[in-house]
Amino acid sequence: MAVLHAWRTARVTPLGELHTPPRITAVLLRLTVQVVLVASLWHGLYANTGTTAGLDVDQAVTYAVLAVLASRLRELDQYAGRDTVLQHMHFGTIVYWYLRPLPPQRYHALRALGEQLYGFVWALAGYGVCLAAGVVQPPVSAAVAGVFALSLVLGQLVLYFVMLVLDQLCFWTVRNNAAMLILIFAQNLLSGVYAPLWFFPDWFLTMSGFLPFQATLSVPLSLYIGRIPLSDAGGQLAIQAVWVVLLALFTRFLWRRAARRVISQGG
Amino acid sequence: MKAVRIAWRITVLNFRAQLEYRTEFLLMIAIGAIWQVSVIVFATVLLSRFTGMGGWDSSEVLLIPATRMLAHGLFVLVLGRMHFVGRQIQEGRIDIYLVRPMPVHRHVQLAYFPTNAIGDLTVAAGLMAGALSRSDLDWTAGRISYLVAAVIGGMLLEAALFTAVASAALRFPAADYWSRWLEELLGTFGSYPLNVLPRAVGGFLTYGLPLAFVAYFPAAVLTGHGHDTGVPYWLAALSPLVGVLAYLGARLLWRWSLGHYAGVNG
Repeated sequence: MAVLHAWRTARVTPLGELHTPPRITAVLLRLTVQVVLVASLWHGLYANTGTTAGLDVDQAVTYAVLAVLASRLRELDQYAGRDTVLQHMHFGTIVYWYLRPLPPQRYHALRALGEQLYGFVWALAGYGVCLAAGVVQPPVSAAVAGVFALSLVLGQLVLYFVMLVLDQLCFWTVRNNAAMLILIFAQNLLSGVYAPLWFFPDWFLTMSGFLPFQATLSVPLSLYIGRIPLSDAGGQLAIQAVWVVLLALFTRFLWRRAARRVISQGG
Repeated sequence: MKAVRIAWRITVLNFRAQLEYRTEFLLMIAIGAIWQVSVIVFATVLLSRFTGMGGWDSSEVLLIPATRMLAHGLFVLVLGRMHFVGRQIQEGRIDIYLVRPMPVHRHVQLAYFPTNAIGDLTVAAGLMAGALSRSDLDWTAGRISYLVAAVIGGMLLEAALFTAVASAALRFPAADYWSRWLEELLGTFGSYPLNVLPRAVGGFLTYGLPLAFVAYFPAAVLTGHGHDTGVPYWLAALSPLVGVLAYLGARLLWRWSLGHYAGVNG
């Protein structure tokens, strides 16, 4: 029974997407154009350059295209479904999360899981097409592929908890628009979505080493393209795992505190 | 005159309303600055790693993000609420605006004060000052006037693109999805010479999604690269006018789409 409830909760957003064909067309078009643009840009930039920051043209293009595909993992328009924590706080409907038999933290996690699995299907299909078209290079060995897969899962967990902290912020600030936008920029910049972190100055790399963002994308993609060798993979995976544990404990603590702040109408 | 007075009074009230949430107010200023700084960091990283990009030296390239970001900051301040139309449609506010005496477009633009524009414009002005101080060009009155026209044209072109998406959202609310992508594309591909891209891709960013007219073509004309842009020189030089025409066209499209607006509930 619990599995059935979990399935029903997880499929809410994907079902919403599947019932909106224009959105699916838009995603398809956007992904295609973005991949072509990004691949063209990096090929163009490398036209007169050999290897820079330890990356050759194939590695840079593969990194950039995979970053575009990975950004699909969690980019659904939750706002259209009126089920973001921000909207529930604004309209006062957050109280229903606490009146259902399903605990709010589990509901939130299941919704995110459904979204990430739906996004993963898109990313995987895009990866297959890019691989067949020769836009991205395959991993050099099965071991690299395995480590990349594990690192990607850990990265997605870190990303989920980071986004969750922002959602939980709403319980205290009511609004989280600005914080959410700042986080999205920080995430894109510090995880290497805009450009691989290896191109940045040393102080920037050192600073991002103390933050969880690089664990979400830069580490798995660097493992994939071989910029982080397999011999260093253990340490990087351990850092990702530490972030998962720390953020899981922190968000668990915040869920407890948040519950005390929820009041239904009339107190 | 009365309309200007009303618009000013609503703007003052909106500004005070933003001050109600002090932390949010400060964060929104920060967000504008951070967004612009992230564009600068990206451009700087590319400039330092790939010197001589597209045959331009770095001080010339810097003029492109400076122009684009200043145009973007002004767009956010003056006409940026077009981003917000999708949500206004979803919440049924357009229906309310339609029965009020003020035009719907003005209502949308006066919905709230864009606090983030303060951060946007501060950083953009700083970058423009930096770009001008590093430039070896002779900044005559003609060049300065063209730069001012280019910034205003860029603002209007960006406004035209978002107005077109908002017009589509009036008919198909899901079209709002495109505005986020548009902003991302402008930020990523609007900040350096587009001649580093293959001709077909450059053509798409000129004739398909005309972001080349926002900053790349005006900067090319100013720095003497106007003949190497892949389009006729006169077309590149007329970029500010393209912005004006595109905005007028977008407003006509908005008016037509509003006439066919049916509301999210049918």
